[in-house]
Amino acid sequence: MPPEAILSARAISKRFGGLLALASVDFDVMRGDIFGIIGPNGAGKTTLFSCIAGALSPTSGEIFFRGERMNGLPNHTVVKRGMVRTHQIVRPFRQMTVAENISVAAHFGAGRRRGADADRSVRDILERTALAPDASALAGALTIGQLKRLEIARAMATEPQVICLDEVMGGLNPAEIVGAMALIRSIRDSGITVLMIEHHVHAVAGLSNRIMVLNFGQKIAEGPPQQVMNDPAVITAYLGAD
Amino acid sequence: MKWIRAVLWAAAAILPLIAPLFLDRGMLNDLWQLALAVILASAWNLLGGFAGQVSLGYSAFLGIGAYTTLLLSLKGVEPFLTLPLGAVLAAAFSIIIGLPAFRLRGPFFTIATIGVAEAVRVCASSVSFTGGSSGLRMPTGSFNFNLNYFSMVILAIAVVATAAYVKSSPFGHGLAAIKQDIDAAEGVGVNSNRFKLAAHALSAAMVALAGGLYAINFQYIAPTSVFDFRLSLSIVLMPILGGLGTVIGPILGALIFSTLQIKLLSIPLLRDSFLFIYGGLLIIVMLYEPDGIVGVWRRLAPVRRIFNAS
Repeated sequence: MPPEAILSARAISKRFGGLLALASVDFDVMRGDIFGIIGPNGAGKTTLFSCIAGALSPTSGEIFFRGERMNGLPNHTVVKRGMVRTHQIVRPFRQMTVAENISVAAHFGAGRRRGADADRSVRDILERTALAPDASALAGALTIGQLKRLEIARAMATEPQVICLDEVMGGLNPAEIVGAMALIRSIRDSGITVLMIEHHVHAVAGLSNRIMVLNFGQKIAEGPPQQVMNDPAVITAYLGAD
Repeated sequence: MKWIRAVLWAAAAILPLIAPLFLDRGMLNDLWQLALAVILASAWNLLGGFAGQVSLGYSAFLGIGAYTTLLLSLKGVEPFLTLPLGAVLAAAFSIIIGLPAFRLRGPFFTIATIGVAEAVRVCASSVSFTGGSSGLRMPTGSFNFNLNYFSMVILAIAVVATAAYVKSSPFGHGLAAIKQDIDAAEGVGVNSNRFKLAAHALSAAMVALAGGLYAINFQYIAPTSVFDFRLSLSIVLMPILGGLGTVIGPILGALIFSTLQIKLLSIPLLRDSFLFIYGGLLIIVMLYEPDGIVGVWRRLAPVRRIFNAS
């Protein structure tokens, strides 16, 4: 594993009964990367995130985060060590306000903030994610665009070193996508390494410095966006063979 | 509005403390019972209301507290000094149950707690040191109703204050996160298992303290009284009736429950009808207002605003 890699996967496989959702996937993410993961529906992208974040345990293979083996660690431990994910289908605490949602993450994430310190962190993140006007609204009453931002805001509040964003642009309008792209850049610029699964190929190509392509659980390409987008195997996976 | 609320809370705490100045013994006995109900309901609410883990096994903790106090008193220990031990034993027992049971979610957890509580009751009925099914009596000469009354009332105030503190603390917010979406809570770093164990232990200890005071005042306990499944059921009913996960809900529920209990028990014909009535109440609340009385109050907010404006 390269010494500057913050996150490395070695031959990760995940089997659900007869389905091999991930087949021996290897990759390295460098500190400061925006690492895009693309692939057709059912390619295993979300399963990969679940394996990394600790919600699922890979069937075989190893995951290293900051040099430590992470296999099988519970989700909350992974978060406390500095890696967090968002969910494609948003999972807010619906009966809490936006600020309270973020506050829980500030208290129990890797930052473990308390009291005024936690409040400051919450205010800061509300500003950065443009949620400040909705701070005291119940999460259950938000629009999908706001919920996607809340999902990111809550992940940011855990103060991660690596943030895994699972289709945070799904369902957003073009103006919101521009905002989301700016937010993701600002997250990277604040020193957090970003992994992102995204269906908006232009957004992911514009943001990422490396892209990995999955198809049927296998890695079929990896490299800089231009190179990956022109790869015949990737074009075939997306458009089908002629 | 905030100061009105503070005054009401202060009054609710002070009134039962000065009640012995103007109420007779019978009324004080009813108040003692209300204080017990408030403790059970508020303590249960820490786990069941705040964290959403509905346990039907709380009679076990009341029984552990009551039996610890009674057995040690029979050995000659001052009854009030036995209370902390009962609390510690109940908390330890809650962790032993919680370790496997909290792996289960939703109704499966609830069913497991019924099993544990019933197992405890059966064991207590069949071993000899609990007095078996005929129960045990406190040693004579240790009865002081005023002391018993104040102890129960002060414990009730302490439990409610603790519940209010927990609700607004980071710990309470973590419990709320677990209740609303346990996976998302884990996903922001909440160790859900540890939180549930802590809430369980805290509430078990409180219930055991009440159990010890129950034994001291009642002077007689038996597995059928303190380990009764109907007791576990009533403990759950009160917070649901009043408003799950709120501070005042369990108190309102306890108020209704104790009043009903006292009134019903005094009418021979209705004596055994209480389970029927509680069952009916539970169904009505679940169907029409899952947030209980507190939920009804919140629904009336627009009406209150009209009154305040005029």
